[in-house]
Amino acid sequence: MTDVLSREQRCALLAEAGREELVALADECLADGAPVRVLTGPEVGAVAAQVREPVLAERFLLGDVLACRAEVEVAGQRGWSMRLGDDRAATLAAAVLDAEAEATRPQSGRIEQLCREVEARRARREAAEWAELAPTVVEFEELT
Amino acid sequence: MGYSGARGGLEAILAAEDLVRRARDQAPAPWMPTGQITARMRLLVDRVMGEGGLYHEDTAAAALRQAEGDPLEASHLVRAHRSTLPRLAVSEPVDPDEMTILRRVVPAFREPDGPQLLGRTTDYTGRLLEQPDGQPEARPHEPGPARERTAEQRTPRRFLDLLRKMDLVADQRRTDDPDPVDITRKPARPPADRSAVLASMARAETGGLVALWYRSILGPDGDIHEVTLGDVRHGRVPLRVRHPHTGNPVTLGEFRVSEAEAIENLDGADEDRTRLDVGYGLCFGHNERKAIAMANLDIANRRFGRTGPLGQLLLLTVDGLDSAGFLEHLKLPHYVTFRSIVERKQAMRTAAEAGEGPAERVAEPAGKEC
Repeated sequence: MTDVLSREQRCALLAEAGREELVALADECLADGAPVRVLTGPEVGAVAAQVREPVLAERFLLGDVLACRAEVEVAGQRGWSMRLGDDRAATLAAAVLDAEAEATRPQSGRIEQLCREVEARRARREAAEWAELAPTVVEFEELT
Repeated sequence: MGYSGARGGLEAILAAEDLVRRARDQAPAPWMPTGQITARMRLLVDRVMGEGGLYHEDTAAAALRQAEGDPLEASHLVRAHRSTLPRLAVSEPVDPDEMTILRRVVPAFREPDGPQLLGRTTDYTGRLLEQPDGQPEARPHEPGPARERTAEQRTPRRFLDLLRKMDLVADQRRTDDPDPVDITRKPARPPADRSAVLASMARAETGGLVALWYRSILGPDGDIHEVTLGDVRHGRVPLRVRHPHTGNPVTLGEFRVSEAEAIENLDGADEDRTRLDVGYGLCFGHNERKAIAMANLDIANRRFGRTGPLGQLLLLTVDGLDSAGFLEHLKLPHYVTFRSIVERKQAMRTAAEAGEGPAERVAEPAGKEC
C-alpha cells in the first residue's frame, strides 16, 4: 500500500475496522461540537454481487451480499461509508471518520493510524492463516 | 376447473405455530446462539446463504435456528428477508482470479501452477461416526511460524489458463458484454441467456442440482459426457462498488465462494474434436458439491440445452423454493379440486351402469390451459 492512503483505500480499511474502535474515534471527532448531519442511512441493504466468469468472459449475478451504507456531513465535508454486514453504528461512525479525514480535521492523524492498524492486523491474520493452511499442501503421486 | 381455498381454522393455525415456538425456543437444552451455529454448522450456513441468495452468515444462522434446522425453510426465510431489503448497489464485476484460496485441488493435473491445497476438508478421511459426550478435548497443535504467502500461493493461475496456453480449449470468449439477467427481478424463462442459467444454478437447491447433474451424466437424454474437473476451489474474493464521490472502485470486504471448472471432451459432429470445452460453477460459501454440479451442467447446457430438456430443467426445476413450494402446497386443503375428480368418476360410473359407453376422449388442443 502507498505511503498516503487514497480515499478508496481509507474507506476499505474503515470497512474492515472493528465497531468499538470506529465508534470511539467518531465520538472524539465530534467532541469539538462540529456540526454534523446524517444525509443517508445508516441503511441496511444488499449489494448484488456481479461476477465475470473466466470461461466465456460473461457477467452474471451470483447473489446479494448484505451491506450497510451511510453518508454524513461533518463541518461541511461529506463522508461516506459502506460495510459488509448490518452494523449500523459502525457504518455511521466510519462515514464520520471519512468526513473528518477528508476535511483534514483534528483527528485525521488518528484515523490514518487506525487504518494502518487495521492493515497490519489483516497482514498478521493472513500470515497466521497461511501457517495453518500450508501444511495441507499436497503432492499426490501417480501410479505407473 | 375452478380452485377455491378454504377459510377458517385460525385458532388451530395459531395453536400449531405456538407448539413449534414453545418446543423450539423453550426446549430443555442450552440456547443455541447465532455464533454457535456459524462456528459449528459452517457448511449448512453456507448452503442456506447460497440457496437463499443472500451472503450473511448471521442471517442464515438465525434462519436455520428459526426453521428448526430445515435448510429449505431457512432459505425461504432468508429470501423473504432479502426481498425486504433495498438494493444499495450492483458490485463491480468480481474477478474470480483474485480469489485468495483456502482450498484448491486440480483433479485433472498433478502439477498445476501453484499449490494443490487440501485446506479444511475430510474428503480423504474414513467416515467413522464420533459420538462424544461433550466437547472433545483440544488436540495438541503447534501452529507453524506465521509467514507471508507468495502471490502464487495466494492466487495461483487457474488450470483453464494452462489449457489455453496448450491451445486445447475451444475459445468461445465473447467480444460483446451483455448485461446479466437479474432473476431476482424477473423469473427467467427458456430460452434464456447463459447469465440467467448461471444465476439460477448459483441459488439452486443443492440436492436438486446434484440430482439433475447425475441424471445428465447417467444419460437418459442420450447426451454423452466425458468430464474431468480442472480447478476446484474454496476461497475469498473481494467485493467492490463505485465510490459515490470519486467514482473509483472501493473494496467493501471479502466473501467466500466455491468454484469449479468442468473440462469436457468435445466429440459432437459439429464440434471441434481437437479441443476441449470448459463449464463453470461458482456459488456462495463452501459448497463444492454445488459448484461442481453447476460447472458440469453449464457445459452440458451449452452443448445440449437447446436440443433437449436440460435448458428448461435448469431454469424451471432446480430452485428449491419453487419445487418444494409447489410440493408443500399439496398439503393445503384441496377439497374442491378433489371433489371434482370424485364427481367425474361417479358420473362416468353412472354412465357405464346405464349402458352408455364412455365418450371418446378428445385430446386438449396444444397450448390450451386447463
